[in-house]
Amino acid sequence: MDLFNPYNLQVITFIVLNGILAISIYITLATGQLSLGHAGFMSIGAYVASILTKQADVPLIFALLLGGLIAGVIALLIGAPTLKLHGLYLAIATLGFGEVVRVIFLNMEITNGALGITGLKSIGSTLYDWLKVTGLTGDSFGLSVLQMKAVLTLLFLLLLFGLVLFLTLRLHRSRIGRAFEAIKADETAAKAMGLPVAYYKMLAFIIGAVLAGFCGGLFAHITTTITPDDFNYHKVVEILSFAVIGGSEIVWGPLFGAFILTTLPEVLRVLAEYKMIMYGAIMVLVMAFRPHGLIGTDTFAKLFDRRRKQAARQAEEGM
Amino acid sequence: MKKSSRLLPSLLSIILGASLLAGCGGGSTSDSGGQAGESGGSSGGGEIVAKIGVVSFLSGSGAAYGEAQKAGLELAQAELNKANEGKLKIELLFEDSGGKKESAINAVNKLINQDNVVAIIGPTLSGEMFAAGPIANEAETPIFGISNTAEGINDIGEYVFRNSLPESIAIPTAMKKAVDKLGLKTAAFIYAANDDFSVSGFQTMKKTAEELGLENLGESTFSIGDVDFSAQLTKVKELNPDALLISGLYKEGSMIVKKARELGIQSTIIGGNGFNNPKVFEIAGDAAEGLIVATPFSPEKQDEKVQAFVKAFEEKYGKKPDQFAAQAYDALYIMSQSLLQAGEADRNKLRDALAQLKDFNGVSGKLSFDENRNPIGEAVVVVAKGGKYVPFE
Repeated sequence: MDLFNPYNLQVITFIVLNGILAISIYITLATGQLSLGHAGFMSIGAYVASILTKQADVPLIFALLLGGLIAGVIALLIGAPTLKLHGLYLAIATLGFGEVVRVIFLNMEITNGALGITGLKSIGSTLYDWLKVTGLTGDSFGLSVLQMKAVLTLLFLLLLFGLVLFLTLRLHRSRIGRAFEAIKADETAAKAMGLPVAYYKMLAFIIGAVLAGFCGGLFAHITTTITPDDFNYHKVVEILSFAVIGGSEIVWGPLFGAFILTTLPEVLRVLAEYKMIMYGAIMVLVMAFRPHGLIGTDTFAKLFDRRRKQAARQAEEGM
Repeated sequence: MKKSSRLLPSLLSIILGASLLAGCGGGSTSDSGGQAGESGGSSGGGEIVAKIGVVSFLSGSGAAYGEAQKAGLELAQAELNKANEGKLKIELLFEDSGGKKESAINAVNKLINQDNVVAIIGPTLSGEMFAAGPIANEAETPIFGISNTAEGINDIGEYVFRNSLPESIAIPTAMKKAVDKLGLKTAAFIYAANDDFSVSGFQTMKKTAEELGLENLGESTFSIGDVDFSAQLTKVKELNPDALLISGLYKEGSMIVKKARELGIQSTIIGGNGFNNPKVFEIAGDAAEGLIVATPFSPEKQDEKVQAFVKAFEEKYGKKPDQFAAQAYDALYIMSQSLLQAGEADRNKLRDALAQLKDFNGVSGKLSFDENRNPIGEAVVVVAKGGKYVPFE
């Protein structure tokens, strides 16, 4: 595979972007909350970041961070009344929130209504301009400008993804992570143990929202154009299906789901008209054989368990 | 025992995942021989072989548009390859965008960098073009819109073309003709506020009304998906305008036309580009009578070229072509003409040839590009009569 082909780089970029989104849905799910508001938070982040870079010339990275933060603040406001809801009720309330955000953006002057914001400066171009200041160009690495921009975008995203993943894994092993797990397993029991359940649930909700908002900003500056329709109900389903297909027990589940669901449409391009049939069939197969998602806590355990048993058996035979 | 029975499915799914991975790797290696520099086939032996990529909305909610475009392109391909035998051979590579931006971006990237096409036709939606256009432009590959009517498409860059007349040409043509012929003085507007296409159409309508001196009596909005328009139309009835201007998609638009006539609104109704669909007559029925629309293409137009195209299309697909098929058909003819002029399948030479296009005579009217590559063409103004659109005289 030609690694420096911009097409391959672009697909990998989308995989990494969806990977961060997958972590955002995973963190909310880690406390057993089913939130369908992620597309809403994503759109808040996307619009805030886009307006900041396009109209106020704010540097990209600050705009992205601000987008995430504002999504987090909104999550705090929304979370206060809605997080008292459980299961399906929370799902419906957050779904409603997402739709409200979309309709607000549709009718606002600054977001340019249904026409959306176009002509944003892409991440690749921004980074390349910075690089030029240091005197390096694509030629220094033997790559064309186009390849260089794609490589820079991907590196930038990989860096962010690595950071987010590292923090998530650390979080999992910290006191907060253990609290999340306890709440997910049994909320009443967790409360009886003296855990401030409301606090931890809110925390998970906000972290998820900040990450989603951040992804929204990234999405806007990769596609260079956004309209409210990019964040509709279909986007919610897409994000959620990362966790459904991949599994939501450990962080690798949604990540694997994001990887599969982003790669699949590209791999299946060869099939043209039959693409959607295959796509559907694979989904059904996964659900039939692994209703809890492809990767669960047992997946790795079992693989290692089996290997250990084999090793033990071989050792026995050897004796 | 129990353990192993649960292990099997989990292994199966891992194998499934792994096979996908393998598929990904394999698929890409086989095709990525050439690099981006040398593009789109060769010109050995006098015959130019040109690979043209097509990004279209072939699956999902807008698949009808994509199918029409594909049909138009394939018909043109067959005719052109026969007519230019020995001189030019066009290969078409279709990619589905599903109406999604990410997918359109990936498709354009794939066509340019992996398949090394000389030019791209599509994508279908204006939103997709705004996302994918800059990529083609940066890669110095001509990208040719055949259904992007929004403002600002040509501003993306020098390699972006389109033969779809922007609404800013089509709608004013219809309004001007209607005002001239029917002596309209006042107007009311109704448009879908949650649809980019409709909002853009409305803005053009409003601007044109000001220029034509039509008095603006009021504006009301609806949403795509609405089924009840009584509130807005009762208001319109009170205003009693000479003209009712509707900017929306065909479904809601037709329902508005129907309801308006039911309420007894006598105004002349002028519709935006969304009304260019035969479904209008299925939904609105007799109420559609007298509806005025501007269209880039009318199969009823008494023109030799148009009638030959309609006949060939009906023979091949068993139905009448719509404007999407017609514009796709024209686009490939423009491409082949420019390729022959360029003399070889080279992206930059093709761009220069395209930019010089003048007085191309296609089934959707005459077409030239101005210095900003904006299409200059003429729209046909049609009026609904007896269940179909006929030229408005």
